[in-house]
Amino acid sequence: MAQYQQIAGQDGSGLDLRSLKPARGFVTVVISTMALVAVCAIFAPSAISAGGLAGSLPFAAIIAIVGLGQMLVVQQGGFDLSLAGGVSLAVVITTHMSGGDDAQLLGSIAFAFGCAVVAGVVNGVLVGVLRLNAIVATIGMNALLYGAVFAVSGGVPRITTPLMSQIAAGKTLGIPNSVLFALGIMLLVSFVLKKTVIGRRFEAIGANPAAAHAAGLKVQLYQAMAYVFAQLHYCVAGILISGITREPTAFQGDSLLLPSVAVVVLAGTSLLGGRGFPISTVIAAFFLNQLSQFALAVGVPFSAQTIIQALALVFGIGVYSLRWKQAATKRALKSKTEETDNEV
Amino acid sequence: MTAACAVATLTMGLAASTALAQTPSWCGPNEASLALLDGFGGNSWRLVTTASGAEEAAKCPSITQYEYADGQGDTQKAISDINSMAARGIKAMVVFGDAGPAVLPALTNAHRAGTIVVPYRVNVGGTEGENYAKFIGSSFFEDGVSWGNWIKEILPEGGNLLFLSGPAGNSQGTDELAGMKSVLDDKYVFINPEPFAVTNWDPSLTQQVLSAEIAKNDKIDVIVSDFGPSLVGALPVFAEFGRSIPALATSDGNSLSCFWEENKEANPDFKLFTVATGNDNVRLAVQWAVALATGGTPPTDEIFKAPVYENSVSGTPNPVTCRPDLPGSIYLSAEMADDAQAKAVGQ
Repeated sequence: MAQYQQIAGQDGSGLDLRSLKPARGFVTVVISTMALVAVCAIFAPSAISAGGLAGSLPFAAIIAIVGLGQMLVVQQGGFDLSLAGGVSLAVVITTHMSGGDDAQLLGSIAFAFGCAVVAGVVNGVLVGVLRLNAIVATIGMNALLYGAVFAVSGGVPRITTPLMSQIAAGKTLGIPNSVLFALGIMLLVSFVLKKTVIGRRFEAIGANPAAAHAAGLKVQLYQAMAYVFAQLHYCVAGILISGITREPTAFQGDSLLLPSVAVVVLAGTSLLGGRGFPISTVIAAFFLNQLSQFALAVGVPFSAQTIIQALALVFGIGVYSLRWKQAATKRALKSKTEETDNEV
Repeated sequence: MTAACAVATLTMGLAASTALAQTPSWCGPNEASLALLDGFGGNSWRLVTTASGAEEAAKCPSITQYEYADGQGDTQKAISDINSMAARGIKAMVVFGDAGPAVLPALTNAHRAGTIVVPYRVNVGGTEGENYAKFIGSSFFEDGVSWGNWIKEILPEGGNLLFLSGPAGNSQGTDELAGMKSVLDDKYVFINPEPFAVTNWDPSLTQQVLSAEIAKNDKIDVIVSDFGPSLVGALPVFAEFGRSIPALATSDGNSLSCFWEENKEANPDFKLFTVATGNDNVRLAVQWAVALATGGTPPTDEIFKAPVYENSVSGTPNPVTCRPDLPGSIYLSAEMADDAQAKAVGQ
């Protein structure tokens, strides 16, 4: 009976609290970004010049896309460490299988998506169905994906095809195509998450798997699908990188793992699962990228980038934790109940 | 693993084809086994270098056994590779000590156990005769001098230079900078953060760093980079700013030469000067190891000096050479035949 009350209470009070949540996450990230742009305008105008943005926005778009993928997994209370392997595999498949030949580009992209689906399904089964710890399962998958990266490429970079370069590094109406891809994916993810039954169920399961299970939702299936769709995002990012960077290395995904988590946290998605904020995630990606560009423009070496990303992550978690403290102790109690339920 | 197999196959093929050639003076009469140990073997530069080492060893019929091990970027594995080769009684080993002084104790043990140990290119610390038989360095300082002299030729009045190198604090970059500064006076201003802009030799980082530098600096006269091919993805950024790609002093690579061919017309300031990227450093190290192990005459050189390779202005010693029929990731400056390189990189 007590449990029913809690679940009912969670649904009721959860709605109230959560209706504030997106506003807070969104407002935080938008204000931070605007402040950063203002700081750039004063101290490092080159970082927001048209040319400077044209050079850096494609990389912001990549971070946004992997961030959206990671967000789906985080929404289910998981973590996907196979991101680096997934991105790198897509990069080497697109560049090696096509071998610089435009005619083979489509086939290689299709194969990359096929591999992404397989990797995602394995991750999904391990975590969603067999209940393995997400970190352990995905780190193992990452090693397997890197095995595949070596099998395909031998670690050797290869030049992208002219068509891929044109698609990923080109511009439409003055906007880099990669940015359009990121915006398109953001709209799609937002629409599915917020406006479809599947998306609403997905978020409900992330918020409280036990309640969702009691409501008759297929919790395991949705949790598993988060990993599949995440891999598809990494695949798109990898394919775009293969076009943006003319001769990408075989390890291009390595530097994206930390930013992907940072943008999800900055956007206000709870690491315990629940609602996701696609638009905030994309803005956070722009923020993080702009922060690196600002640091470069004022002369902080690029080697400090990891520190900047880590600080952004800490900042995000800090903001997020403060919100938790402000919430009633009831929430803490509830999360404990969730944990116990999960263990059972 | 695939790379190792490819190299083994290549070695056998090369051994067969070169056995009849004249025996070089560094190849003595005593039979010996030789191992090439790589700290990290997973990029095209390393594959070509490894294949070059195998090709060089195959010139000497006294080498009865040839082994290769790839440390895969794992210091622990690199150390274990050295120990295991020594334990197997390999007579001579040529070591690319990527991990630096971390592999010195293992090298010292192998040296004391009677193996001829020849580390090359990366400084592992220690002293010759005590920790290993011979260290075959590469003169990055000379590369810097070559670039500096060319910059003086094309820019006699001085100008703004942007120098990009690999990870922060890498000794290759600092040596090259010292080389450049030995010939360039105060008229030449380095606009990058001291001592060089950090790129990790990663094409995607290079692109981001370069776009930030271009946005920040209205006038860049020459870009200097010690890994030319990593710039190929980054240079089109200049078009975003409506500026011509400036002169470039760097190391060679087929993809870079082809990029120059494609873009020279649209970019009037784009001059290209390259030094050989140094795959043949391994050949000198192999010659030394084989000479010491087989009782041959060691070569006179102890340091590999990368020769100047391409100069788009004077055409000497070579004009810029693009081979669109070959993979972008091979190095035409290397002694190894172009198609053999293409095979080594698996294409």
